[in-house]
Amino acid sequence: MSFFIKKMPRRMIVQALVALPALSLFRKLPEADAGPSQVDQNEIVVVNGWILKRSDLA
Amino acid sequence: MIFDSYNAYRAANFKPKVCILGSGPAGTTVARKLGAAGIPVVVLEAGSREFSDESQDFYRGAKVGDFYFDLDITRLRYMGGSSNHWAGWCRVLDKLDFEPKVWAPDTGWPIRRTDIEPFLPEVRDILDLPEFRPDVPISDDIRWVQLIKSPAVRFAEKFADELDKSRNIAVVLNTYATELAGDGKTVTGARLWSNGQDAGTFSADYFITCTGGLENSRLLLWSNQRSNGGVVPNAAALGRYWMEHPTFEGGNAILANYDEFEVDAVNEAFFSPTLAAMQRLQIMNFGIRLIETPYAGVKRLIADLACTAPDAAEWAAYQLSQNLRCAAQLYVAWEQAPLASNQIELSKTDVDHAGVPRIELHWKKSELERRTLVEGLKLFGTTLIEKDLGRVRLMDWIANGEDYPTNEETAGHHHMGGTRMGTDLTRSVVDADCKVHGMDNLYVGGSSVFCTSGQANPTTTITALACRLGEHLSKVVAV
Ligand SMILES: Cc1cc2nc3c(=O)[nH]c(=O)nc-3n(C[C@H](O)[C@H](O)[C@H](O)COP(=O)(O)OP(=O)(O)OC[C@H]3O[C@@H](n4cnc5c(N)ncnc54)[C@H](O)[C@@H]3O)c2cc1C
Repeated sequence: MSFFIKKMPRRMIVQALVALPALSLFRKLPEADAGPSQVDQNEIVVVNGWILKRSDLA
Repeated sequence: MIFDSYNAYRAANFKPKVCILGSGPAGTTVARKLGAAGIPVVVLEAGSREFSDESQDFYRGAKVGDFYFDLDITRLRYMGGSSNHWAGWCRVLDKLDFEPKVWAPDTGWPIRRTDIEPFLPEVRDILDLPEFRPDVPISDDIRWVQLIKSPAVRFAEKFADELDKSRNIAVVLNTYATELAGDGKTVTGARLWSNGQDAGTFSADYFITCTGGLENSRLLLWSNQRSNGGVVPNAAALGRYWMEHPTFEGGNAILANYDEFEVDAVNEAFFSPTLAAMQRLQIMNFGIRLIETPYAGVKRLIADLACTAPDAAEWAAYQLSQNLRCAAQLYVAWEQAPLASNQIELSKTDVDHAGVPRIELHWKKSELERRTLVEGLKLFGTTLIEKDLGRVRLMDWIANGEDYPTNEETAGHHHMGGTRMGTDLTRSVVDADCKVHGMDNLYVGGSSVFCTSGQANPTTTITALACRLGEHLSKVVAV
């Protein structure tokens, strides 16, 4: 682990990891047929191998 | 008594009533039961006290179909059998494993789990096991199940002294039963091979083959061929419905802090489906092995998750700063659908040093099993979401529907079926008492009698069935 990483608190590293690739460009969201208001946010979807509920994708 | 050669045994002039072939967990357990009941029994063991390349060579064979282990690697041919290198993971088959399943043909046993349960205290003594604990449902679909990591009893080591001192049991090493002879009603004798040569014919009132989950089929197929169907008169299912526990890394998980279950001493926990989930999804039984891994794995996984699902990653990041336990690897082992086409055949070209045809194993995983793997992981992933316990990621080859990898665990070295138990003479070889259909004095011990494999490692059930067979035979023989 580099000196720079060691100095950073873990919470910050994770937040950076979370924020960095959150560009919609990289995100493959499964198409919902219905409009946003009708989409079941608890529906189970598989995206990039992840088993998620739709609300995870926001 | 233990004899290192057939000649030494002959000189002792012992008169057995029962002849057991093979001294692995099945053979040793039946012998101890019979010996304790005062019945003189001989155990003929092909190998010696130690491993040798020469003995192991008799186990070579060919494989056709899916990638599988070499047949001389996946088992051991010496006193104690494969218990000399088993891992000692123990669990009895589930109650639901014995029931027929309408969505999977040829499932269901002629006995129920309650038929072997009375023998479980004995099994615990034999395998040095703690108390069995009941499954704990963590959702309507998933059970947290107990898989005991036992000290892996080496049968030869644990019981050598007892066997040596026994006046009723004679273990004869370096004595290979190459074939049984029969007249369609009784086995009349066993042909022996010892010290690199034919050693004549051996007779006893009863014979029990306990030569392992591949070798039982080989021995009976060859014997039947040599005696024109006189050893297994109803042989339609002989060698067929062979099964394993395919085992692969199925994915990863990010786990929150929770109290629903504990991991064991090596940070592992095991999960299986409920009967309701199996029924609804029409899948086979499976076992997910969750292995907790240290923090480095979490970061990689959360980064990956962030690309796909920022909200979930946020949740995971929050959990991490709270009490997130860690990341986990998920291995899946599953029950194979019993298929007649998965079978042991005799090689037409290759024989061992005693002239017995080697095995040609035909083995393929089915569509139903692939569905079991995928749906099983989804079921587990869904349960983690519902209970807010974590998130699951499938391995790429599973998510992308690619072929099974060939550089992984592959299977459990669990050789089941081939002489399955049943009432239908065209679909089974032995009856509920492990007696070969149509034969008066021929029995089979070991996992070759399994009708279905369940998801549990087989040796606990093998040992329970062997206790049951020993008890049954001690009554039959005493008459
Ligand atoms: C690497 C590995 C790990 C395993 N881990 C586990 C585990 O964790 N949990 C679990 O439940 N199971 C496990 N198993 C499976 C377990 O070892 C077997 O289920 C068990 O040993 C089967 O017992 P058996 O008596 O039926 O056959 P075997 O153990 O195969 O014994 C058969 C005996 O018969 C002898 N024999 C063969 N042919 C003849 C003949 N013609 N004449 C005379 N003797 C003959 C052999 O030499 C051998 O001693 C594992 C297996 C392997 C290979």
